[in-house]
Amino acid sequence: MSRPLKLAGQLVALACVAGLLGLLVWRLTHQEHAPRIGAPAPTFTLRRLGGGGTVSLASLRGRPVVLNFWASWCVPCKTEAAALEHAWTRYRGRGVVFLGVDFHDVTGDAERFVAAHALTFPMVQDGSGNVTGRYGITQVPETYVLDRTGHVVLHLAGPITDPSFVGELQRGVREALRS
Amino acid sequence: MTVRLLAVAAAALVLAGPAAACAHPSTSLAYLEGQIMCPTCHTTLDQSDAPAARRIEAFIQRRVAQCATAGEIKSELVANFGAGILAAPPRKGFDLLAWWLPIAAVLAGAVLLALGVWRWSRSRDGPPDEPTAVSSLDPDEERRIDELLARLD
Repeated sequence: MSRPLKLAGQLVALACVAGLLGLLVWRLTHQEHAPRIGAPAPTFTLRRLGGGGTVSLASLRGRPVVLNFWASWCVPCKTEAAALEHAWTRYRGRGVVFLGVDFHDVTGDAERFVAAHALTFPMVQDGSGNVTGRYGITQVPETYVLDRTGHVVLHLAGPITDPSFVGELQRGVREALRS
Repeated sequence: MTVRLLAVAAAALVLAGPAAACAHPSTSLAYLEGQIMCPTCHTTLDQSDAPAARRIEAFIQRRVAQCATAGEIKSELVANFGAGILAAPPRKGFDLLAWWLPIAAVLAGAVLLALGVWRWSRSRDGPPDEPTAVSSLDPDEERRIDELLARLD
């Protein structure tokens, strides 16, 4: 094989290896992790469930936000639904916003879930799971409480009715209200 | 009697309902479940038992019973879950690269291989090395070879 051809082949092989290495580094540095307590919550704009329009997290700045990630196929989500609705009716008068984020769900199933559990707080849908992924969520339900500046105050990985989370949501909301 | 007749009519309607909805479905769950991904477990529906996969299968079955085509069902799922729900990328726009790049890579590999084989075979068929090597022998070696050859004679 002639020398220039050999050199070109070596360069192509080197470029391939460098490209694969670059991909590996990019993947490692762009892995999604749950935002830590005190860190700003990832912003998003998602379409409303069961209605037109979108909801942007940035538009809720200035108010404490309880973000609840759920899905209609998730059994623990059913068990916590009533408790969430109860907390929403308790805190809505104090300016706290509850926002349900439906995850990887068929729209019709999600709408039926909301109706069946008589949930009245606003809901958005993250069908692709892009936003949910940025919150490091792999299993639902999970709940984040954000303060008025959009920073994470509390993260509950599991249903809010879990015995280990007794009083945690109230504590988080109170802390967010003080911000 | 009237009540009985009404009950029979209602039962007939209930039983006939699904059949009347779509007598000749244009697609099936079996056809689609290998082409649709389970969003939570990242395998196709036919390989998944995840609750999310079961819900999507139920949705497909409902739409098949309503005479929706495979294309319509896929479009609705993409609108709901994004393009990642499809096991294979669509054959248009930027996604076309995913189809053409492997073919281009295989072709490029074949061309390189053919080139290599051609050059290798050409080098084998070429004229044998000229006695340039002999001429590169130093005088001492040349003398010894001459002696050996003379001895053979």
